[in-house]
Amino acid sequence: MSMEDYDYLFKIVLIGNAGVGKTCLVRRFTQGLFPPGQGATIGVDFMIKTVEIKGEKVKLQIWDTAGQERFRSITQSYYRSANALILTYDITCEDSFRCLPEWLREIEQYANNQVVTILVGNKIDLAEKREVLRQRAEEFAEAQSMLYLETSAKESDNVEKLFLDLACELIREAKQNTLDNNDTAPMPGEGKTISYLSCCSSLN
Amino acid sequence: MPLPTFPNTRRLLLDCTSFLDHQIGGGVCGCCGALRPRYKRLVDNIFPEDPEDGLVKANMEKLTFYALSAPEKLDRIGAYLSERLSRDVARHRYGYVCIAMEALDQLLMACHCQSINLFVESFLTMVRKLLEADKPNLQILGTNSFVKFANIEEDTPSYHRSYDFFVSRFSEMCHSSDEDPDVRIKIRVAGIRGLQGVVRKTVNDELQANIWDPQHMDKIVPSLLFNLQQDDSTESRSPSPGSEKDKESPAELTERCLRELLGRAAYGNIKNAIKPVLMHLDNHSLWEGKTFAVRCFKIIMYSIQSQHSHLVIQQLLGHLDANSKNSASVRAGIVEVISEAAVIEASGSIGPTVLEVFNTLLKQLRLSVDYEVSGSYDTYGSKTVKVHEERQLQESVIQTIGSFANTLPTYQRSEVMLFIMGKIPVLGMYPVLGPANTGFEGSRMIQIMLLKSLLQVTVGFQTTNMLTALPTSFLDPLLSFTLMEDAEIRLLVLHILISLIDRHDNQLKFTPIRIITDIGALKLKVDKCSRQDNLFMKKHSQRLYRHIFLASKEENGTSQHFESLYVLLGLISVELATEDVVVDLIRLALALQDLALTNEETFPVFNRCALHALSAAYLNLISQLTTVPTFCQHVHEVIEARQKELPFLLPEDVFTDDPRLPEKLEKVEGEVLFLQAKIAETLGGSGYNTERLATPYIPQLTDEDRLSKRKSIGDTISLQLEMESRHSPEREQRRSPAEQITFETLKQAIVDSASLEEQERERRRQVVERFQTAPFEEIAAHCGARASLLQSKLKQIFEITIRPPPSPSGSIGQTQGRSVPVYEMKFPDLCVY
Repeated sequence: MSMEDYDYLFKIVLIGNAGVGKTCLVRRFTQGLFPPGQGATIGVDFMIKTVEIKGEKVKLQIWDTAGQERFRSITQSYYRSANALILTYDITCEDSFRCLPEWLREIEQYANNQVVTILVGNKIDLAEKREVLRQRAEEFAEAQSMLYLETSAKESDNVEKLFLDLACELIREAKQNTLDNNDTAPMPGEGKTISYLSCCSSLN
Repeated sequence: MPLPTFPNTRRLLLDCTSFLDHQIGGGVCGCCGALRPRYKRLVDNIFPEDPEDGLVKANMEKLTFYALSAPEKLDRIGAYLSERLSRDVARHRYGYVCIAMEALDQLLMACHCQSINLFVESFLTMVRKLLEADKPNLQILGTNSFVKFANIEEDTPSYHRSYDFFVSRFSEMCHSSDEDPDVRIKIRVAGIRGLQGVVRKTVNDELQANIWDPQHMDKIVPSLLFNLQQDDSTESRSPSPGSEKDKESPAELTERCLRELLGRAAYGNIKNAIKPVLMHLDNHSLWEGKTFAVRCFKIIMYSIQSQHSHLVIQQLLGHLDANSKNSASVRAGIVEVISEAAVIEASGSIGPTVLEVFNTLLKQLRLSVDYEVSGSYDTYGSKTVKVHEERQLQESVIQTIGSFANTLPTYQRSEVMLFIMGKIPVLGMYPVLGPANTGFEGSRMIQIMLLKSLLQVTVGFQTTNMLTALPTSFLDPLLSFTLMEDAEIRLLVLHILISLIDRHDNQLKFTPIRIITDIGALKLKVDKCSRQDNLFMKKHSQRLYRHIFLASKEENGTSQHFESLYVLLGLISVELATEDVVVDLIRLALALQDLALTNEETFPVFNRCALHALSAAYLNLISQLTTVPTFCQHVHEVIEARQKELPFLLPEDVFTDDPRLPEKLEKVEGEVLFLQAKIAETLGGSGYNTERLATPYIPQLTDEDRLSKRKSIGDTISLQLEMESRHSPEREQRRSPAEQITFETLKQAIVDSASLEEQERERRRQVVERFQTAPFEEIAAHCGARASLLQSKLKQIFEITIRPPPSPSGSIGQTQGRSVPVYEMKFPDLCVY
């Protein structure tokens, strides 16, 4: 009897400038709500959600970090153990986009080098205030070999997809790892060798 | 087929019913309950029907007894309990969750056996589950259990336990931002206690993932500091009287936790623990505020094992260096922290860091002066310097130097003094270091800053042995001409001398400068002049006198200068007086009077009056110290005469804010002057050396003066000869500086004065080496031989000097035995030709 109630456990860390909507994304995904007037995150926040992807239970440990500079030292310490990083910016805020290279440097410096990074442009509900064109962001993401997605935590656009896609990618990587290293223990999760199935269906 | 016996059936039935009672909606077929293993039944029994009733105590005892008697079953019990618990969590049956946790705790407490290991695995899984839940109560419950677990000492190592999640989660809880302030505080407290638990659990266990690794420390330390820092802001904002009484505030708890953590840090871990602190203070810009940073480091310094505390200082110093380009307020904050921390360290253990501390502080001082002078932080001038902030920084660096130095033992203090002295740019002594763009103003400011630091170090400095405390290498630059011209610098030097010589806190008793009628009223504390002091004076007195003389001569002197000179003279006569010294000091005072009488037109009236006043005040003082009645009387008469006729020649009138001075000082003569002959006469009766006293004081030059290459040397000091009785070769010997100038060295000096210094140094080195290494007998024998050698050399010198050498300046044509210093004095002239 296994004591664990999941097949895979992944740690996901959200990073990005202050006020781009990291906490709202997490809240929307884990609790299904959009907290209006969300205050600035202090230090780190923690949420957990278990999803099922093709019959496998995947537990997502989501660490939501403060964007404020003054908490940088504690947030950095969370990058290291992350399996995936969600690098968030605000499509209505040019500044938050321009800071991305800086964030990438941080990732380079502090994160595990096998980390999966996904670029997320949040707040697409505010299309009329858009400052960063989709194409520009896509090009940037491609240049940095990141996945790219645009979301709206407020309207729940692409939020599920974001996390589920990430989970799929992580499972794929985990399996890849198990296959590559054969019997050495895989880095994340339990690592059962099951043939890869394209994912999307989710339950919870 | 045999029927089941009655008791068996009955028991089965009972089990079934009791099981059905408790397994409401448990998802397990009730009918099979009886077939379940015993441990499962025992576990099930502890759960009451209604979770409100709490743990079924009697059944819990049974379970405990079973677990104790069959420890091999413990892991299964744990696994089963944990399974139940996760089911209950998922189904929001929190009452049962609490009961399960309580049961786990009790089992954990009861079972101190080796098999606890596997049980702990399931226990930790459960705690983790609780911590993952988003209900604050469950988080707190989980933390409480974890803390209980953390306090259990395990005797068997475990290889596959990982606390990563706990560290991350507890750190996160420390930052809780729950809307409800009560809940927020509870969660934060839970987080802190959790971290404390992790630290306790892992710190001594070598098999554990090292808690001191940066990846953990970077989480733990900032979380703790964050709560410590919240102290002031939250407590003043939301005073919740109810919860505060029974519960510690997060800040207090944090402080304890931090102390515990640091107290356990070993040598290799200090760095990892301190670095996050520095980072946190940087990020939250807490250096400027100072109080928090200081508090942090006080906690650190007091809780860390004292043998490691120098590491903390080192890190702070490194951080200060790293912040060299940061704004002055940040640097000032760091300096302040260093000053507080260094004092704590110094009182504990004196590490090898002492000089390093001073070095860094002096470097920062210099840097700050550079910034101030150049007006920008870098060569591009991108940021402008706030001058007043730099000034504040400089002040606080100086303060720091002082307060740190005050904690050091004497020998280290003199080392530090020497070190600081070595940093002072002194023309012809030490090269002026630092960037060239600061120029003259820069080096003047640096001189002032360093002298101020030096003054701070010397405050309260009390040495029994002046000779070792103030070596030539210290006095030479201090008394050099370079530090003489500028009035501010000169005053600083005088203050330094005063605080060095004053060993019985007498200096304040001499101020303000005045005619003291009864010296007994001052209650001076005097020790008998020791042998070392005697030696010191023999070696350095001439230098001191000359410094005083020349300092009095400077035209930009203010009343402060004269007062300091008076105090200095007074202190020398109190602290270091011997018969010879007293005679010399009286000569010096008379020389000052003569100086005031010179015909030089340019010499201001104020200075003349001040010199008269100074000599009067001092002669009054020393006459009372000598207690020779006739001498006292003479001094008294002169002072009375002055009071009647020329009151502006007395300190009371000169050294006021608004001195009433005459336009021009007309002939001052007659009974308002102190007469050398008279004083010599009065003192002669009391056994003082009158012949010497009858000789006017003339400042003597040494090698150093030639090196300092002051242009006006020849003009400023008239080349008068010091007459020495040739009948007293012993005196001669004693008076000559202790460096033992032999005929050879003198000759060599004349031939090639440049190499003199080097040779001297080399010779000294050899002497020191010999005295350090040679056995005592050898040294003694050598010294005996040396004495007779010296005598013969001196005889030789006398023979030669009777025939005057051809000299360009006719003034030395007089025959008479001339002392060795006369030869020294001649060097500049001879070098010219």
